[in-house]
Amino acid sequence: MHNDTPKPSDADIVRQVVGGNVNAFEILLKRHQALVLRIVNRHLPIHEVEETIQDVFVRAYRSLPTFKGTGDFSHWLASIAVRTCYDYWRKAYRAREIPLSELTDRHRQWLENVMSEQSQNLSAPKGYRSEAGEVLDWALARLTAEDRMVLELVYFKGLSVKEAAKLLGWSVANVKIRSFRARKKLEKTLKNMISKQGRGGIHEIS
Amino acid sequence: MKSLEYRQEVLKKILLRKYHEKEKLELGDRWQANVMRRVRNLGPFQPKPDPLMQFGQFVWRLTPVTCLLIIMAAAVLLKFDFTPDYNVLISFITDAEEISLAQLLPL
Repeated sequence: MHNDTPKPSDADIVRQVVGGNVNAFEILLKRHQALVLRIVNRHLPIHEVEETIQDVFVRAYRSLPTFKGTGDFSHWLASIAVRTCYDYWRKAYRAREIPLSELTDRHRQWLENVMSEQSQNLSAPKGYRSEAGEVLDWALARLTAEDRMVLELVYFKGLSVKEAAKLLGWSVANVKIRSFRARKKLEKTLKNMISKQGRGGIHEIS
Repeated sequence: MKSLEYRQEVLKKILLRKYHEKEKLELGDRWQANVMRRVRNLGPFQPKPDPLMQFGQFVWRLTPVTCLLIIMAAAVLLKFDFTPDYNVLISFITDAEEISLAQLLPL
């Protein structure tokens, strides 16, 4: 049996929820959970995703009266998700929960493989996949929360400066400057890592 | 041996690929139930108050103060006898031609 009843728009459901129908929020939750999961999973460590995704939706519920209904609800929700991730990193950096441990022999071995002539196929050498992620986390942990977010949005995800600014709620100029500086910082970290590794002194990298 | 810039570029590309390869997380339904529980605990939004109703509430809030002021004004009027002034006013109204400002005011 085909159901021709048109689905209520996001704006309609928002109006219902703001009007007091709390249960209607579940429709928004189910409609947009994939988007929020994708954003949170991209920016945060896996063990933090489930709790943060809940925080995103609760935060969205609290802010529903501020949703004007003129723009796209998914953009509005994406912005809340990105800001929640940013808040997570800010708290984590402030509480110094980011591991700043030095790289180990495993990582050195991985880096040697990567830098060898044979591994120019731009994929992590087999058996060293987790090391690539750990080295990436290690490099990102050396940035600030702001630099990390802006770098992930602009350079890793490939968003425009304007889009990143809108998601973070910052000015375009701020995002432009931060993304430039963050990229320079990351490049410097990688450069140091490679040059120290070349001299066999990766443990000296701070 | 490749140059430092080249090796840096290779490492950047590998790390970037790793970033995009991040494993996809499958969450159960429990988190959705948790969200809805938290949302229900917050409760429904209060309807936006009508400005006229708000004005009414504001006025009623001032009622005790207004009553107190009326009582105080009545007490003051009773304490300072206003009867002479009342008489002067009556004579002024009834005998307007003969009364002058000099008679009214002790000049």
